[in-house]
Amino acid sequence: MLLEAQAVTKAFDSFRAVSDADIAVEEGEIVGLIGPNGAGKSTFFNCLAGDMVPTAGRIAFAGEDVTRASPEAHARIGVGRTFQVPATFEDMSVLDNVMVGAYLRHPHRNDAREHARRIIELTGLKGQMDQWARSLGTPGRKRLEIARVLATSPRLMLLDESLAGLTPTELQEAIALVRTIHEMGVTIVIVEHIMEVIMTLTKRVLVFNQGHVIASGKPEDVVKDEAVIEAYLGRGQHIRRERRQ
Amino acid sequence: MKSLTAAGPAALLLAAGLLSYPVVFSDPYYLDIGVTFLLAAISASAWNVVGGYAGQVSVGHSMFFGIGAYAPLLFYTLFKWPPMVGIPVGIAVSVALAVVIGVPTFRLTGHYFSMATIAVAELIRIFFGTWNLVGAAIGLQGPATARGWWDLTFRSELPYYYIFLAVLALLLYFTFAVERRRFGYYLRAIKAGERASRSLGVPVQQTKIKALIFSAAFTSVAGSLYSIKTGFIDPESGFGILVSVQMVIIAALGGAGTLFGPLVGALILIPLQTATNTWFGGGGSGLTYILYGGIIVVIARFEPGGVFELWDRIVPRRWRRKYAA
Repeated sequence: MLLEAQAVTKAFDSFRAVSDADIAVEEGEIVGLIGPNGAGKSTFFNCLAGDMVPTAGRIAFAGEDVTRASPEAHARIGVGRTFQVPATFEDMSVLDNVMVGAYLRHPHRNDAREHARRIIELTGLKGQMDQWARSLGTPGRKRLEIARVLATSPRLMLLDESLAGLTPTELQEAIALVRTIHEMGVTIVIVEHIMEVIMTLTKRVLVFNQGHVIASGKPEDVVKDEAVIEAYLGRGQHIRRERRQ
Repeated sequence: MKSLTAAGPAALLLAAGLLSYPVVFSDPYYLDIGVTFLLAAISASAWNVVGGYAGQVSVGHSMFFGIGAYAPLLFYTLFKWPPMVGIPVGIAVSVALAVVIGVPTFRLTGHYFSMATIAVAELIRIFFGTWNLVGAAIGLQGPATARGWWDLTFRSELPYYYIFLAVLALLLYFTFAVERRRFGYYLRAIKAGERASRSLGVPVQQTKIKALIFSAAFTSVAGSLYSIKTGFIDPESGFGILVSVQMVIIAALGGAGTLFGPLVGALILIPLQTATNTWFGGGGSGLTYILYGGIIVVIARFEPGGVFELWDRIVPRRWRRKYAA
């Protein structure tokens, strides 16, 4: 098991944002995390990335206890993450942004730059390499975030709504990019609202509601689950159908 | 990358100008302005590493300047040793202080960090003002006449000018090297976003402390050079808040976080400051506060990025691209 979280709870004062959540991810998997807004996905995510220390529970990565490890320690052992709101380094060029990630495993400038260039090419940012990050639009920023994390050579990538806010064409390109990364041997956990992404990319999903994992399994089965429809997808599917008509 | 290539020819021109300045302006009055300018440029460039590149705005760098300034004169006063013996001691104490101060204060961000640094510098100033070993409120004096070249006590300002210029060149060279290395990238990343930096494996706390050590060491050297040249130091001229504020203003004026920003800032501020002090005579120090306040307002209102950013905006993009490519 590459990532294993058991009974993770994160409470803010009396409010339990995440309550007794479990996840187990095998090397090479793509696992989806879905659930309505405020379900606790991002909090759980932050616990997995070391950005928050859980109130209770245990998280292990590659057999090593990382429950209390810092975000930088997570990066070093091979856990990379993106942010829901892109946190690109605005006053640095695209290349320099990616180089910051590349420096983790390539301490020398030339190696880091070469590695960053490869990643930039792979993520389709070659044309914008020398632009300021702040000059990129939302799709570019999301791509840059993925590129920057990828440059740290992670074994596990945690994608927090990295595909939200894209046009249909951009979305297809982004899905293809995630596939490419997966084929490179990177295990992926993805938080996403867009069912199309979940359905096409993942073989297994966890559904969050009010801090609890209420269902898990194949996406096509989960979609039919009563509790899930009740909590989230029901309303979502309903709206979808309405829009189509 | 852009500032580097575009600044290449400009830097050469600047170097030629600085080297020949004492020849062209040999009058002691102008030479003194030159020496003051170099010292201000060294302090502000040293501050720039942690305050500019890493974005950790210290307003208490006078603590390192003061320690660097007291050390040489203390050794002279106590043991009659050549003042320059104090330079490495000042560096060592400043570096130790940087670690001691850095560990707790770097847990604070933004204004809280700035305020904590002011508080520490003020504490040290008040402490030195009552400590008899360092002359309390009166301060310390250096050798009145040189016993040999090693006292670095010269009648003319000319030797100081070239010593200071050499130190500035060394500091800028180190900064240039830092800028290109992982360390420099990490500093800029920390300024741009600590959370994202950590998620990419940047050891934020450790990098900040390294930057502060580098910065403190050179600020201390600036202080030592100041006291050796002036032959006098007291709590206000060593640890006063104006000393810290001057570094911040000069760097911000020229462009914090750029290699030549502090130098450009000093090039503007020092002549301006000297001129206002000369024109208005005795009430000089009060006027300095007003000048600094005015500059802060102007920078904050019109150009938070400093003169370098102004250049970015004024010079047409097409023209710049030629250099960037």
